Amino acid sequence: MRTTEKSRPQVTAGIPVAKKILPSLVTGQEVVLIGIIAVLWILLGLLTPAFLTAGSILPLLVAVAPIALIGVGMTLIIITAGIDVSVGAAIMVTSVVTSQTMVATGIPLIPAVLLSVAVGALLGLVNGYLVAYGKIHAIIITFGTANLFQFIGLRFFGSSTVNGLPDTFDVFGRGEAGRTFGIPHSFAITVIVVALAWWYLRHAASGRHLFAVGGNETAARLAGIKVKPLILRTYVITGALVGLAACFLIGQGTSTLEQSVGAGRELAVIAAVVIGGTSILGGRGTVLGTLLGAILVQTVTSGVTQMGWPSQLSDFFVGVAIIAAVGTDILRERSRRKS
Amino acid sequence: MLKKKLLQSAAVLAIGALALTGCTNKNSTADSGSGDSGKTTVAFVPKLQGIPYFEAMNAGGQQAAEDLGIEWLYQGPTTADAAAQADIVRSLIQQKVDALIVAPNDPDSMAPLLKQAQEAGIKVATADTDAPNSVRQVFVNQTTEENHGKALSESLMKAMGGTGEFAIVSCSETAANLNAYIEVIKKDVAANYPQGKLVDLVYAGEDQAKAAAMATDLMNAHPNLKGIVGLCSAAAPGVAQAVKDAGKIGQVFTVGGGTPMAMAPYLKDGSSSASVLWDVQNLGYLTAWTGKELADDKTLEPAFDVDDKIKGVTFDAESKIELLGPPLVFTKDNVQQFKY
Repeated sequence: MRTTEKSRPQVTAGIPVAKKILPSLVTGQEVVLIGIIAVLWILLGLLTPAFLTAGSILPLLVAVAPIALIGVGMTLIIITAGIDVSVGAAIMVTSVVTSQTMVATGIPLIPAVLLSVAVGALLGLVNGYLVAYGKIHAIIITFGTANLFQFIGLRFFGSSTVNGLPDTFDVFGRGEAGRTFGIPHSFAITVIVVALAWWYLRHAASGRHLFAVGGNETAARLAGIKVKPLILRTYVITGALVGLAACFLIGQGTSTLEQSVGAGRELAVIAAVVIGGTSILGGRGTVLGTLLGAILVQTVTSGVTQMGWPSQLSDFFVGVAIIAAVGTDILRERSRRKS
Repeated sequence: MLKKKLLQSAAVLAIGALALTGCTNKNSTADSGSGDSGKTTVAFVPKLQGIPYFEAMNAGGQQAAEDLGIEWLYQGPTTADAAAQADIVRSLIQQKVDALIVAPNDPDSMAPLLKQAQEAGIKVATADTDAPNSVRQVFVNQTTEENHGKALSESLMKAMGGTGEFAIVSCSETAANLNAYIEVIKKDVAANYPQGKLVDLVYAGEDQAKAAAMATDLMNAHPNLKGIVGLCSAAAPGVAQAVKDAGKIGQVFTVGGGTPMAMAPYLKDGSSSASVLWDVQNLGYLTAWTGKELADDKTLEPAFDVDDKIKGVTFDAESKIELLGPPLVFTKDNVQQFKY
């Protein structure tokens, strides 16, 4: 399996002196997250009959994939001190357009994925253009477009569900068709996208510029960075990833698409990004952390169910994790300012 | 000058008189704002517009309107929002419809509005979901919680051979009807199926993907799990999909409350054994029919047939609950007949 659409960064970087100032390979937050996830997995493995079996871990990774995938784009956006709260509604639009087209025309896998990615990128373009050139905070803009997308999506649904979805996207699903050599395709693609984004943020000039924009936009502009196209690009990338994630969600859903698809996913994505150690104030963040954040959230949800605890406890644990992540971020920021 | 004032007061008087007659003259359809042809107007306000369930009710209502020669208005909010629904109800009161039937999102906040409607001379009723502490003259009820819960546990136990562990994937934790079904299932299994054992109860919200993920977790947590109930229309296909993905068709049996078209593929491949619902179109038909009866000032009989399709409807004058009948169980044999 291989993704067909990727954000190919312009490789203009590689200034030799830059190597010295590159951040360390993994951040403290990532090490902490890996530790927490490892402890949780071992504990759950001991306490439940089947948590550490393929039948449990693989579906968990499949559930992580769409959230982490959109989380990659969201991380780029939040690094520039922006945010996109319209991704839930954008999922709805891309998935309904794609699934209706599949039902009507029976298009095969690759065109269906391309269609979904193109629709998502188009929605991202709308967001990016308004945010980059609108001079209004991204939360307001994307809140507006979220309602707009919601409206568009509902019009496509036309008071009905999309029934009789073909099994085209089963390759991204939870079942046997969704795995090769035991590895879920959707998760493998997500890992590849995370790796590309990790490289982009670390080594590409424009990737480094995102941090500069989020740290201080005025300073970045005065330093000669073309801020607006850069911001626009982060929203388009996120939109394209929303399109791909919508294919994953259709694949792991049922043979019927309901208009509740995507509802509340923006919060799940932002939670994964924040738990992953990306500063909501901008200027700092990692995509590896976002992937780990998404895995942690899904581990908690699955763990609570497998332990037989009341479902609402998973909300509690996720809430605690978000507050802890934001708290350590603020403490870190303070100590950085003092020193 | 004087003439103008006289004219003005005459106009005010006329409007006042119109308003008064509107209040007192309950059944005059002539001055009903929306009734252009003097037809009886029955308005139905669903919890939200645009989901297959209420659209199926609307289809039934439209059919009834055609058969009975009434005007059927169908208008609801786009999200299940009590305030937005209240605005729609207010505007329908302004339009002076003849009968106003609501499926309230929030029964308590709907009650004063129904009173207001009644004071404006409109016949009021609830359908699908009741507002028990209101002035509603009828509640058009699809099924009793007792019957529905029992149909679920009976279908599940039949599929499981009356023995083994099962779990429930519910949706909203605050949905009164779902919680009532859960209690009935627990009681019925305890009383009639001593070999059946409820091992877990989880809540997935109205989210298919989450219901499927949770069902997967449940199968892992309970290796001997033999049955799963997907209680609402999102959970029912979700749990069936999870069983299918895990390759456990025939080992783990599911039942639920899914709409026929969503459940058809799962009933066919055996990942779902049965789906318990009611004939939603007939419920819409009965709702419109009841609205007309109310507008015509007729009293409902304790038991009656509406037509060939809707038979054995009962009405309890004490509680003012009209009951469509026993729940409808969709299986692979009958599911193809229903197009919603």
